[in-house]
Amino acid sequence: MRTGAAAGHVGYYHEAILYDSDEHLLAVVLPFLLGGVEAGEPTVVGLAERNAELVRRALPTGTEVTFLPGGDLYARPTAAIRAYRKLLGSYVAEGARQIRIVGELPPAVLGATWDWWARYESAINHAYDDFPLWSMCAYDVGATPSRVLADVVRTHPRVAMPDGSHVPTDGYTEPAAYLAERRLMLPDPVERTAPAVELVDPAPAQARDAVRAAHRGQLPADHLDDLVVSVSEVVSNALRHGVPPVRMRLWSAPDRMVVTVQDRGPGPTDPYAGLLPAGNGAAGGLGLWISHQSCNHVALHRDADGFTVRLTAGNPYFPV
Amino acid sequence: MSTSSTTYGHLCLAYDDPAALDARAVAHLAAGLAAGEQVWLVGPGDPDALAGRLERLPGRDAALSRRALRLVPVEQAYRHDEVVDPEKQVRAYAAATRDALAAGYTGLRVVAEATTLVRSTAQREAFARYEHLIDRWMRRHPMSAICAYDRRELSDAAIAELACMHPETNADVLFRLHAGGGDAVAELGGELDPSNHRLFAAALDRADPRPVGGRLVLEAAGLRFVDHRCLLHLREHARRHDATAVLRTSRSAAARLVELLDLSEVRVEVVR
Repeated sequence: MRTGAAAGHVGYYHEAILYDSDEHLLAVVLPFLLGGVEAGEPTVVGLAERNAELVRRALPTGTEVTFLPGGDLYARPTAAIRAYRKLLGSYVAEGARQIRIVGELPPAVLGATWDWWARYESAINHAYDDFPLWSMCAYDVGATPSRVLADVVRTHPRVAMPDGSHVPTDGYTEPAAYLAERRLMLPDPVERTAPAVELVDPAPAQARDAVRAAHRGQLPADHLDDLVVSVSEVVSNALRHGVPPVRMRLWSAPDRMVVTVQDRGPGPTDPYAGLLPAGNGAAGGLGLWISHQSCNHVALHRDADGFTVRLTAGNPYFPV
Repeated sequence: MSTSSTTYGHLCLAYDDPAALDARAVAHLAAGLAAGEQVWLVGPGDPDALAGRLERLPGRDAALSRRALRLVPVEQAYRHDEVVDPEKQVRAYAAATRDALAAGYTGLRVVAEATTLVRSTAQREAFARYEHLIDRWMRRHPMSAICAYDRRELSDAAIAELACMHPETNADVLFRLHAGGGDAVAELGGELDPSNHRLFAAALDRADPRPVGGRLVLEAAGLRFVDHRCLLHLREHARRHDATAVLRTSRSAAARLVELLDLSEVRVEVVR
């Protein structure tokens, strides 16, 4: 049996916390965690350092809550989905009837790379729906850009309030519809400069050579290798599934390499492309999924000119 | 020219100018004679026609008469019906290598024009298997060969099927799968990607490396790129033989792909 607000719910019960003070945050999080512990449910905290410490101190000593180590968990959304699905699967295998998680994204990802985290927040409504999960994603309304908050409302079915209520969000949009929308791709400032390389309909091998040749030592060898893998996959997808011409552009900046691949087609039809492996063997699904785990940012963009994938290796956090 | 990290004298030469091929054969066989090897020219036509192609070979007639040079009509060297029998063919060259050594030569060097043997799909299938078997022989014994294929008669795809089984080639193939040294059952070089993953699957099937002690060790220091499709083919091959494929490569990305895809039958050993 599931307990608390999610009692009787099947699948994923996904909420946001839109807090404006420590008191607000604790008023939502403490009863949530204590209720989980009391019900014998796996109860997990995936908050960043400051808020994790705040919650740890507020909890009675010895409360059996699991604090996830910070760091890499929220480095890349597709990897986060993979790690969480593994964790949830292991809890269910141990007999859990419900799992409670409170998490937050590190502030850095609410800027230039927010678009793929917005896709994450939407996709997990589907990706975690196999599990009896009740989770809350905390957002500090004072420190979160309004464009991000607008996406948060559209990707979370409910908001957990400090008075213990759970209010449906007006703008919630089912992931299949949300993910199919045209999304703004913030231009990386380096894109305003002339690309170091521009290729039309390159063979994957040519595209890989261009990436290796443009490397000026700004990336560790492993990251360069991963970018080469990603570019190879994205170019192959465009040649195979897109509409020609396929245009690849590459910029080499002191702290990053940025590659865009554009074709004239509509892009993948699978709304979860990149975030989930295409289990049905859908064309190209695995390549984009691999790219999402091999780069520090992958942005997808559809417009009248076609479909563009932008891959960033190195530092993706340009100022916005 | 695309060359593996290891070379031992097994070259696939795609050509479209017969005169250039003959010039190459002359130079190659002359070097063999100078090194004390027995040298063979294998090709279509009778011995007179073959002799004509080596007109510029210094000391040709003397070499012929002391049997340091042999001219072998392709039908005779390969004793084929329609499709080459790979094992029988390798046994024949193994015997020829041993005979050459017994007669005091330092080894056996062959230039073979094999276009007529690989015209059909079935012929190429068998010949590619043979190319790998003879490659294993050449890696460990003093035999070397240039296998020449006529671009005017064979498609690029047909030549690629054969070229990828050689450690060295001038043909337009991105990868090479050939005999391994030490504990490696095979060696991989070049780049494996969506453009050639089916060819790689076919090459792997034809080379059919077998595990030793449950491990299929592939030396891949010369492998610049490998994608997930090709790792999946490798996994399938390992599964079929109930083994673990061990890929020795300097590309750490392969290790991350294996982890992402949970390929438990493939282990990547990153060697720098």
